[in-house]
Amino acid sequence: MKRVYSILLAVLLVAAAATLLWSRYDYAYQDRDAILTPSTAQHAAGTDELGRDRMVRVAAALVIGFAGSAAAAAVTIMIAAGFGLLAAFSSKTLAAILLFVSDVFLSVPWLFLLMMARSLLPLTASPLVTAVTTFLVLAALGWPACSRAIYRGAVELRNAEWMIHAHACGLMTRQRICLQLVPHLRPLLLPQFLICVPAFVVAEANLGALGLGVGEPMPSWGAMLLELDNSALLARSHWVYLPIALLVLVLLLLESFTSEMETHA
Amino acid sequence: MRRVLRLPLVLMFMSVALMAQLALSALCQSVPRRTGDLVWAIHYDPKTFDPAKVDEQASELVRYLTGGVLLRINRQTQQLEPQLAESFQISRDGTLIVFHLRKGLRFSDGSALTSADVAWSLRRVLAPETGSVVAEEFLAPQQVTVDAPDALTVRVHLPKRITEVGKIFDEIAIEPANRPSEGRITSGPFTVADYKRGQYLLLNRNPNYWRRDSAGVQLPYASGIRLDILNNNEQEIAAFLRGEYDLVDSLSPDSFGILMQKSPQSAHDLGASLNTEQLWFNQSAVAALPDYERAWFQNQGFRVAVSETIHRADLARIAYDGHATPAYDYISPANKIWHNDKLKYSQESVSDANRLLSASGFHRSGNQLYDAAGHAVKFSILTNAGNPARQKIATLLQQDLAAIGMQVTIVTLDFPALIERLMHKQDYEACLLGLSNVEIDPSAMMNTWLSSSPNHQWNPSEKTPATEWEAEIDRQMLLQASSPAQNIRKAAVDRVQQIVADQQPFIYLVYPNVLEAASPQLRGVQPAILSPRLAWNIESIHPREGGAR
Repeated sequence: MKRVYSILLAVLLVAAAATLLWSRYDYAYQDRDAILTPSTAQHAAGTDELGRDRMVRVAAALVIGFAGSAAAAAVTIMIAAGFGLLAAFSSKTLAAILLFVSDVFLSVPWLFLLMMARSLLPLTASPLVTAVTTFLVLAALGWPACSRAIYRGAVELRNAEWMIHAHACGLMTRQRICLQLVPHLRPLLLPQFLICVPAFVVAEANLGALGLGVGEPMPSWGAMLLELDNSALLARSHWVYLPIALLVLVLLLLESFTSEMETHA
Repeated sequence: MRRVLRLPLVLMFMSVALMAQLALSALCQSVPRRTGDLVWAIHYDPKTFDPAKVDEQASELVRYLTGGVLLRINRQTQQLEPQLAESFQISRDGTLIVFHLRKGLRFSDGSALTSADVAWSLRRVLAPETGSVVAEEFLAPQQVTVDAPDALTVRVHLPKRITEVGKIFDEIAIEPANRPSEGRITSGPFTVADYKRGQYLLLNRNPNYWRRDSAGVQLPYASGIRLDILNNNEQEIAAFLRGEYDLVDSLSPDSFGILMQKSPQSAHDLGASLNTEQLWFNQSAVAALPDYERAWFQNQGFRVAVSETIHRADLARIAYDGHATPAYDYISPANKIWHNDKLKYSQESVSDANRLLSASGFHRSGNQLYDAAGHAVKFSILTNAGNPARQKIATLLQQDLAAIGMQVTIVTLDFPALIERLMHKQDYEACLLGLSNVEIDPSAMMNTWLSSSPNHQWNPSEKTPATEWEAEIDRQMLLQASSPAQNIRKAAVDRVQQIVADQQPFIYLVYPNVLEAASPQLRGVQPAILSPRLAWNIESIHPREGGAR
């Protein structure tokens, strides 16, 4: 099943990328004579309230959301791994301090932090910069949840007999981490990474729905989900449901894939 | 196991949310409708029922429905009409107003209404300890004196002439002297009967109301009014369609679309409102802007080129679903008295805009516009979150301005953050906002146009006018505010409109239309563009026939 999920995800992403590459419309282009059209030869999934091709925008949101979330998840895992390993291989006092810092970070109201981070951006920041900032902030705020799990795994590995044996054989701490620990931590890091990806997809969608995510005219899940708040719009076009349907599908595939990975691990 | 449990948890959460929604909905409709009542919703609780202390819309509506006034502005003709005062005269120098009351006036409790009550009510409004917002319209309220030489005459002495002084008396409810009752004893068509905070306000018919219809039947026709407190447009529309509400005030274009589909005979598009949506650039000398950007924004050619590039018809059609009117002037055509019909303004033309920019020292390289010093023309447009139409306008402007090589980013902020940047820090480049005009007289807009005003948005609180055309606006606005002659006032206001059209300190975009809904079962509803748009002739509206629900 793992393979089926990964193929389906890949197919979705390739289809989205192909749509962006070969579509005659840019995601920002407003066809003002085709407002909220149904499916036509020009616009396969119709257009939105500003006459923008809905298929292209959904495809762009999928690619941006997925790529951004994957990159943010990778950064988060790197920070969490560094923090967890440092705590695991430090003295008890330093480890306690590091874990306390992690807990404090975990309790920070991240929404306000994100709002502050966004307000510090210059007003002329381009949509691309806002997108990168959004995902960077998500990455910077997501690591404490993973660092605890990685710390626990690293402590178990540190106390394993083969690690003690390596230490007795004269391997330095750096060598033990790089050669022994990290390869054994991989089964823990990969599921953490896979859990972060859908979490960040949803977080970006939530932020977009609050107007704090990716700036217009760049498409984002959140901005498109906001359309569902408008019952008049729902009555006029069923294609409004396309973003939420795709988001649910992507999340289900990611969750199922992660679940399979955990089972295998 | 953890994953298996997630779906039921989500479903459970959704069920709880749905039940809460249904319960809330049921709560809002828990008061039975009384026969002969008119019912509609207001979005917020009135802050006060004291007519002298009204300072927001909900309280203003209650004052309108309950308060008897000396003079009333007819919301359709936009002219003053006598009410409790049978007639009035203003002296030649404008410092004395004499009101003659109708005979036999009574309050809702049956007590006689005399000039003593009128004088007491006016003095109470003028007293600084009352803190009445209306008092400010007398300019120097402490110097205004009121006397009552006989039971039917009231004299108001002003220190100096106030233009359009009559309209102030539309906002002063006459109460029984020394017995302020917060709307329980009134001289208007209704009285406050019951109020449950956050739920509803009940008004009863005033049995001693002075007005009768042409057949001699005492008004109002409705036996009462129920105003539900409901800040949810979707629920409001649903209740209207179920027949639980008789009126819906100020519909959004989306809600109007729903009504047009389901009950077209009840939806009314009254055309352009008095309100405007506009874009402006920050021209303030103290703003934290690079000098080259300030130079763009202070350049008339730059502003006019932006104006010429905007497809206003598209904004009205797309952002408002066709329920807005393209705007080129600060006075809407709905303002029949003051709109300048002969206004000359530049037409939409991208090629003209490009020529104008070239003449102003800008040049194109590919799709990007540069100024003479080689700075790429990029700026942000600030607007407030939570206004879908405005956000759509901003995105449409983005594409329009790209046609002349301007790169625009859109920034949406919550309202307090936006005001902080606009009013205090002046930390912005361009701003897209609307202005609500509740009055038709241009004097009400003095705070926008006088260069010394903090609300002179593009360059607030100027010590002296920064440009000759701003000085000219100052002169003309002061002239219209002080002149007793209507033709002089009109000429001054027309001149200001032309200067604004030429200089484009505010680039007017659209006038949102007034969208209202009234049950077709009501008789006598005459929607108007001035507030209260549906209830302005409340005493003449016949409630629907039939029993209580």
